[in-house]
Amino acid sequence: MSLKDYRPMMERCSNCLGCKWIPFDKIKSQRFGENCPSVCYYNFNTYSARGRFQLAQTILDGDAEYTKKVTEVVHSCTSCGACDVSCKICRYNLEPLDHNIALKIDAVEKAKTLPVQETIIGNLKKEQTMIQGQKRIDRMNWAKGIKVKDILLEKAEVLFFPGCKYSYEDGLTEKARAMVFLLQKAGADIGVLGKADACCAGRAYQMGFEKEFEQRANANIEAVRKSGAQVIVTPCSDCYYAFKRLYAKLGLNVEVVHIVEYLDRLIANGKIQFVKPVQMTVTYHDPCHLGRQGEPYVAWEGGEKKIRNQIHTWDPPRPRYNGIYGVYDAPRNILKAIPGLRFVEMERIREYSWCCGAGGGCSETLPEFSSWTAAERISEAEATGADTLVTACPWCESNFAGAKNQNGNKIKIYDIFDLVRAAL
Amino acid sequence: MALSREIYQAFEAVVGARNISEDIGICESYRAIPCQTSDHRGPFKQKTPLPQAVILPGSTKEVQGIVRLCNKYGIQFKASTTFWSVMGYIGSDYSVQLDMRRMRRIEIDPKNMYAVVEPYAIGAVVQAEAMKYGLNINIPGVGCSSSVAASTAGWVGFGPQTIFMGAATENMLAAEWVLPDGEVLRTGSLGAGSGWFCGDGPGPSTRAILRAKQGTAGSMGICTRVAVRLHPWPGPAYIPSRGMAPAYKANLPDNFKAYTLCFPSWDAYAEGLNLLHQAEILYLGHRQFTMFGRDIKTAMIKILNDPDGQLSDLEGYVNDPELKKANEDMKIDIQVIIAGMTPRDTEYKEKALDRVLEMVGGWKSEFMMDPEIKDWVLMYLLRMGHKNLNYVMCGGYEGNFGLSGNVFVSSSVMEEASALKKKWEDEHDYIAQVGGDSDMGSITIMGGGGSTGWEFFTHFDSYEKESVEGTAEFFNATQEWMNQKKLGLDMGKWNQSARRPDGYYFSQEEQDEMFSKLAQPLVAYYQYRVREAFNPNNLCGSYYRTLSKV
Ligand SMILES: Cc1cc2nc3c(=O)[nH]c(=O)nc-3n(C[C@H](O)[C@H](O)[C@H](O)COP(=O)(O)OP(=O)(O)OC[C@H]3O[C@@H](n4cnc5c(N)ncnc54)[C@H](O)[C@@H]3O)c2cc1C
Ligand code: SF4
Ligand code: SF4
Repeated sequence: MSLKDYRPMMERCSNCLGCKWIPFDKIKSQRFGENCPSVCYYNFNTYSARGRFQLAQTILDGDAEYTKKVTEVVHSCTSCGACDVSCKICRYNLEPLDHNIALKIDAVEKAKTLPVQETIIGNLKKEQTMIQGQKRIDRMNWAKGIKVKDILLEKAEVLFFPGCKYSYEDGLTEKARAMVFLLQKAGADIGVLGKADACCAGRAYQMGFEKEFEQRANANIEAVRKSGAQVIVTPCSDCYYAFKRLYAKLGLNVEVVHIVEYLDRLIANGKIQFVKPVQMTVTYHDPCHLGRQGEPYVAWEGGEKKIRNQIHTWDPPRPRYNGIYGVYDAPRNILKAIPGLRFVEMERIREYSWCCGAGGGCSETLPEFSSWTAAERISEAEATGADTLVTACPWCESNFAGAKNQNGNKIKIYDIFDLVRAAL
Repeated sequence: MALSREIYQAFEAVVGARNISEDIGICESYRAIPCQTSDHRGPFKQKTPLPQAVILPGSTKEVQGIVRLCNKYGIQFKASTTFWSVMGYIGSDYSVQLDMRRMRRIEIDPKNMYAVVEPYAIGAVVQAEAMKYGLNINIPGVGCSSSVAASTAGWVGFGPQTIFMGAATENMLAAEWVLPDGEVLRTGSLGAGSGWFCGDGPGPSTRAILRAKQGTAGSMGICTRVAVRLHPWPGPAYIPSRGMAPAYKANLPDNFKAYTLCFPSWDAYAEGLNLLHQAEILYLGHRQFTMFGRDIKTAMIKILNDPDGQLSDLEGYVNDPELKKANEDMKIDIQVIIAGMTPRDTEYKEKALDRVLEMVGGWKSEFMMDPEIKDWVLMYLLRMGHKNLNYVMCGGYEGNFGLSGNVFVSSSVMEEASALKKKWEDEHDYIAQVGGDSDMGSITIMGGGGSTGWEFFTHFDSYEKESVEGTAEFFNATQEWMNQKKLGLDMGKWNQSARRPDGYYFSQEEQDEMFSKLAQPLVAYYQYRVREAFNPNNLCGSYYRTLSKV
């Protein structure tokens, strides 16, 4: 859908500004009641989902244009989808998140981008990665020294897709190897894409670079098709979302699971057993693209149908994607299965979780905003009394680690896999 | 006319560069299109004017600085918090819009049972903070996204809990105002240096002129802090919940009871409500779910209680014989909540409620006593967090046949009003066809009972011009009918005297023309004199109705 196709939604948004808050029924305190990092940081309503609807409407009307400020507004959305969940508590015919991204796509088409974005996308096109300064030729270095099938040469049931962060970054490449090792030890038949492995480009989509995303997505879908893999396992929530939702829409037809789901299954059927206690008080951050945006894709083609004169329905009924069927229980099951570990919840969890700030490319494009967003989450984690904040996404993890270092917080930051390893 | 650099920089010096913007995109997003959000004066397509700048003050001092500059340079200003209702938007070209979101502090005084709040402390968060002390706050019918300060200082502020807690005007204690000329006024006990406990003394009591009953909608300056009364909350430190979005349900202890009371006739309804006012047993009372419409309310409740529910499920449910029966059973109904302070209190209130029903031949809806629905209702009405459901069906809604008054008056014409609406639903396709009666309203608009307030929810498509214009026609027809019945002005028609259909304020000449025809023109003349004293440069628009001569 192009921006103008969202016009009915823009004009049916009721200006309630509920999209600035977590679902009201879930508010337990003022401190942790809000949900939209963008409006919380920049304060003007323009940054909220409602503001974006109205901004787009005025752009379509020719009343506003992409000034420098407007361009920043458009791209300062982490695409976290918190607004979407809150809006859909009451509304059945609006898609604020899709619209936020459509607005970015429109801006990109008109060459209204942030300076860093051009560098990032240039790198994606040239080196097929989101990690600045990294080269395509080095992508598979992480797998050096381990025995893992190249799935394009040798059939394997499970395709392990580490994503850019786990492929290149210090500390993470070692973890990627350990993941493969653990899965193999638990009996999984694992392969990797080898030379065909490349960025999923989900983050490019979140930034509004639709064409660049589609190019990469089609190449990756083709590689997966050739591989014959039955399951794709990824430890990155952004990749998970790209495969699960975006690629599925483009025709990928393979089971996609995040590593936490895979581990949860292995724990449930006894193939992984924890033996060492982990004496930590842990709270869990739901990554946006694993949680509320991690719902399975449901194909839909149809249109609006009015009943009873003016009531809008979709014909056929359209998937709602209100966040409830995301991946929430698997990581919690894992943590609860670890002996000695005390698990505590933050106030904003599951579908109404607060974003880590890295989404939408913001960790690179608007680092101060992104780091502030992460620091907010760290404060929330600390308020639970937890000594450790874990997550299930390398983008969240590194954004939290950066904010922690900047602000001198004591809390430890881990990926859930670190605690799994510690308990083995 | 853009602000000169000198003026812009003067504002910037007050709030800092981060908190002011004149960017066209930012300013455009601070315009309202009345039919897209409820204006309570009818559906109009025109945008409110474009502000010269949007300013976000962070303190009383900053608000004062902005207001003084507005006086110095003759710039109109308007504060808003939620921006939901159009009344918070500016109404003239040479204006600045104040967004109060940076001012959000809440201080609770549990011993004296009040909270001191800044404008951006919304109902949901003040309630959440108060519940930690076993206290609660009146949340107006607009819902918990509204600002407690704006509702308390700026508008009517009645809602489901008003029966137990009173409306905004009754809950307002001492306040701090930046008057339209930039002077800071501390009202009530605060003005005498005695704290926040009282709105009317020993210091200056200006409640009658700064807000009165209806509220002056931002036209008498900006309230920067206000103390509001808190009320007992016999529940846990937060509302525990279960269930999947959007159908979250409250897990409250047994001293909370939610019922839908049904009556055999409108006479019995009126008598029942009257008895309930007298019995003083309710924590909350509201005719809520008929807002969807008489024929479809149970279907909508089913949809909203199903995490996978869709509006396209509506027709299936509407034809379900069980639900049809439930609709019939609940044709004349009201939702109530009892909150027992002790087990004996709960028992007493239950018995009294049953006795009231017995006296008027009423009953409790079985359909609404389903535990899942009951707990959803508790969550809905105690938190008031689903108010955007007003718009769920068509994207637009406005209140029609809106009045407040004695319950015996309203109920005597309810069927006739319903028939008129149904006729429009059936003969045209501008508004949703829901069975006529779509009345929503509080059991009372003032503490303890007495006057009720209601409106017929009229659902229309804010995107479709014909639907918007047709709705306006229907509203005119309703007013004609109300004139014939000598019912007076519909709420929306009265509100039309505050702002023009094109979104602009009225000029003094236009106000003079309108208000000289009032039954009591001296009221508007008195307000003119007050306005002259408090707002000599007339910077806050026409929501303060004034008549310059009699
Ligand atoms: C869908 C809907 C349903 C509604 N239902 C009800 C109802 O059942 N009962 C009821 O009483 N009202 C109702 N209203 C009107 C409602 O009361 C007000 O919109 C609301 O209470 C005001 O709070 P707000 O946060 O929305 O304020 P805003 O929209 O921010 O402001 C409301 C008014 O107060 C002024 N104002 C804002 N801040 C200040 C301040 N600090 N000092 C002085 N003035 C200020 C604004 O200029 C504006 O005119 C409804 C409105 C809508 C949109
Ligand atoms: S997606 Fe997230 S950051 Fe963007 S507008 Fe919605 S809540 Fe705000
Ligand atoms: S996007 Fe949804 S939640 Fe936000 S103002 Fe519009 S209707 Fe309300």
